[in-house]
Amino acid sequence: MAISKEAYCVLESVVGTGYITNDPVLCEGYRSGPGGYESSTGYEKVMTRIPGCVIMPRTTEEVQKIVRVCIRYKIPYVPYSTGFYGPRSHPHVEDALLIDMKRMDDFEIDEKHLYAVVGTGVIYSQLQQEALDRGCYVVVGGGGAQASVVANLIGDGWSPLSHRIGLPHRRILGTELVLPDGELVRMGSLALQDDPFWGDGIGPDLRGLLRGFTGHRGFLGIVTKMAVKLLPFQPEKLEPTGISPQTTLQLPEKRVKWINFTMPDKDSMAKAMFEMSKAEIGGAVTKVPVFWRAIAKAGSKEEFWELWSKENEESIRNFHLLRVLLIGFASEAQMEYEERVLTDIITELGGEARRTRPTDESWIKNADSAGMWLMCGGYVSVDYVIETLEHAIPHGVNYAALKKNFTPPLMPDYGDPGWFQSFELGHQGYSEFLVYWDPGENTDGVDHFYLETSKENIRKRFYTSLLGAHQPIYLTGPAYGPNYHKWLLAIKDEFDPGYICHPPVPLAHDHFVQRAEWMKPMKDWESPDFTSRP
Amino acid sequence: MSIREELLEIVGKGNYSDDVAVLETYSKDFSLVPAGMPNYVVKPAGAEEVSRIITLANEKLMPVVPVSSGAHFNGAAIPRQGGIILDLSRMNKILEVDGLNRRVRVEAGVTWEQLTRELGKNGFRMIMPLLPHPRRSVVTDYLEREIPTNTVYDYGEPLQSMEVVWPTGEIFRMGSASVTGYPDSPSKGGNPSGPGIDFYRFLQGAQGTMGVVTWANLKIEYKPKMDKVLFAPVNNLSYAIDFLYRVLKQRIGQECLILNNIDLAAIIASDAPGDIDRLRAVLPPWTLIMVISGMQRRPEEKIQYEEEFLGNVLRNEYTEISLTDSLPGVPGLGKKMLSLLREPWPAGATYWKDRYRGACQSLFFISRPVMAPWFIDRMTEVAVGYDYPASDIGVYLQPIEHNRACRLEFNLFYEPDSDMEVIRGLYREAARVLLDEGALFTQPYGELAAMVYERAGGYTAALKRVKKVFDPNNIMNPGNLCF
Repeated sequence: MAISKEAYCVLESVVGTGYITNDPVLCEGYRSGPGGYESSTGYEKVMTRIPGCVIMPRTTEEVQKIVRVCIRYKIPYVPYSTGFYGPRSHPHVEDALLIDMKRMDDFEIDEKHLYAVVGTGVIYSQLQQEALDRGCYVVVGGGGAQASVVANLIGDGWSPLSHRIGLPHRRILGTELVLPDGELVRMGSLALQDDPFWGDGIGPDLRGLLRGFTGHRGFLGIVTKMAVKLLPFQPEKLEPTGISPQTTLQLPEKRVKWINFTMPDKDSMAKAMFEMSKAEIGGAVTKVPVFWRAIAKAGSKEEFWELWSKENEESIRNFHLLRVLLIGFASEAQMEYEERVLTDIITELGGEARRTRPTDESWIKNADSAGMWLMCGGYVSVDYVIETLEHAIPHGVNYAALKKNFTPPLMPDYGDPGWFQSFELGHQGYSEFLVYWDPGENTDGVDHFYLETSKENIRKRFYTSLLGAHQPIYLTGPAYGPNYHKWLLAIKDEFDPGYICHPPVPLAHDHFVQRAEWMKPMKDWESPDFTSRP
Repeated sequence: MSIREELLEIVGKGNYSDDVAVLETYSKDFSLVPAGMPNYVVKPAGAEEVSRIITLANEKLMPVVPVSSGAHFNGAAIPRQGGIILDLSRMNKILEVDGLNRRVRVEAGVTWEQLTRELGKNGFRMIMPLLPHPRRSVVTDYLEREIPTNTVYDYGEPLQSMEVVWPTGEIFRMGSASVTGYPDSPSKGGNPSGPGIDFYRFLQGAQGTMGVVTWANLKIEYKPKMDKVLFAPVNNLSYAIDFLYRVLKQRIGQECLILNNIDLAAIIASDAPGDIDRLRAVLPPWTLIMVISGMQRRPEEKIQYEEEFLGNVLRNEYTEISLTDSLPGVPGLGKKMLSLLREPWPAGATYWKDRYRGACQSLFFISRPVMAPWFIDRMTEVAVGYDYPASDIGVYLQPIEHNRACRLEFNLFYEPDSDMEVIRGLYREAARVLLDEGALFTQPYGELAAMVYERAGGYTAALKRVKKVFDPNNIMNPGNLCF
């Protein structure tokens, strides 16, 4: 049902004429893709819709009022910040109200107590620069510095810098959440006072509602404000150099330094990560996959393919590049100490240092993911799992084997098993597996592979980020917890019984499998009639 | 069958009691919270038995109070509305010590004494709060978010994945332990988050109201190869706090804390209570304690750069602080202090908080470090009104996460036979005043719960809705928190 004129007028009275529209041309601007993460998948084609109306609130109070109007007039709504996460951040039903949070860009910083308070419209490039200017830093998530800090921290929030820093949900402090019924929950220290410096709940911690590993794409309300923990860095300036888009940060080498190492094999790379963790050194560490290097070197799509076509299964199998960031947090002497320890480790393992540029092109500066589209036009991480390093390595190998059955349409990558790194000084390990395809071709196989990874994880007892809203919950639910889906739906029913907030999430992927003809042969699990839900 | 017969069938005769003498031992603890008598005590052997007991309790609408520690200080395990005490002391197995991933998986009944001893054999340690009682449950203390003395690790929280029996009786594994067949799986349980939502957050600070955690994965760390314990006598607390803002941001040191003279005396006195007053007189008003450590590789060099850094800061910026390896008046304290910071309080010995007067009531909260002196002044003012000597209040300031916050603890030592009512009044009034002034009570035990939740309307309302999802009959530890 289209948004009625009466409802539109009420919404307009909340934000003012200039911040609401149902102009089809403007609404078209909020179409999912092209060029976005997970764009051109079957999920995008089947599940996403252009919003019927877009509204841009400025304050938490306005968000509450908007939500209450939506409930009164039964208007489905979707919170939206930068839309990086592609189809899953966009409306899934006709005539939804898209609540664009960009105007909520208030920003405060307390460097003494190491936190920043950000509105949902604040992006990472703003936060990281302000943090660096004050001797602090944050992890810019793999989505890139153009992503909303809040959206990223309730859905993702990691990078190679997580080697030292760790899980993103630990960095969420005082937070405001407008529940699907318009009630406001102030979490952490905000529950009792106007100071957001502390994250723990008063007794049980309602930050549990905010995410769940990879988050749930806003189906339990709208975060309007969040205090985010900053990490202390070092005092020297990182100097921007170059002309856009070829920009880098020149690093003060006595305090911040990337070093690349060629390692003899995969085991020695993993051992290096374990040993660095045991020695408690390093600011970041990651395996560098071959395609990263090709992307970094290529100035165009053609150049990428020229480089990539020189690779083969053997060259991929024998490529073991380890990239380490050292930071002298306290002093140059710390940097020298850590470099000596790192050299010991690498030497023991038969590795060799390579000449490495004294610049940062990506992970500190902007985690620029734009290059990921370069190769084929479509890409998605079919999984990105935080577990242990012991879990990370076989997980990628397993996916590589599975992927062969789906190539093409997936881009041939010569059996690349993805990449891995340590988190929380080796207490956890991370693996990520990316796939690429040409959106102009038949992409059914992409959708098949995406779903098949879920089944593979269940069969092989791997953990996975893609639970909740990201895969059919009646497939994954019984296998994890068990029956985590039952609790997830019970929470949804409690806070949003009418499914007004981002319907039909968390059942969206179940709907997709049911609606897409090409997915039906894969449906070999039991589901109740979820379509009867509101 | 009667409930008695059904409980007997579940846990067996030796693990059931309704004997009044036994029930009484669960009716009170070391806190000021009024006693409450349970009806039954059962000691399950594992999650299956816990599940059956909780299922039964739902059928009978009988409260269930989980008890995992052998010592309680805050009243959280007192059965306010009677019911079944679920004593988890039999569930005391250390299930795995996984050195490669620096992880240990332990049942809820595993104590600090037990775990530190076992880990020590393998060269590992827990990042632990200050001197936990040896019979406290490690899992419970982490669930209750006790603050560790170590401030250096950016990733904080030691808790990883867990298993819980929900208040409906369903057994559920959280985080990466949620995979089918765990632990027989590539997934080791290293990630607490998910599946779907962050369930583990609901169990934190819940005082047993949201379910029964049966085991948990916890992070462990290697023991340093070398340590240097440094002390700074402090007269000006604000100055010392300012110093901590400066150095802890640089990730210098491992353990770091500040104690006033009476708390430190109660901890280090060889002969208590006799020796405590003598030590109080000798000790400075405040003592800053910092441990710098050399880790697994090139330990001397790590200590060297940390000492150089500290030396520069002290020489050039904080000339009034003298940080050395000895504390005037207390010879040989360094080695003793290291053991005190890395181990629980010795088993069999009177707990340190009870050594001075026989009993102690602690009042603690989270704050910004810069506010600590101001809160101490407020506490002193309240104490004066109750004729409690300000100089007798123990104060412990624990920096958190590079000193971006702190936990401030006031210890009110008292004689249990004569001072209890005074302390009760003082505690209540101090809590009210401090709360008014911005103290953040994230662990609202006993009377604090009502004070805190009535001021946090939106949070409390949402919390009750979550509770209703998991515990529709409100059987888990009713009367605690806001439920």
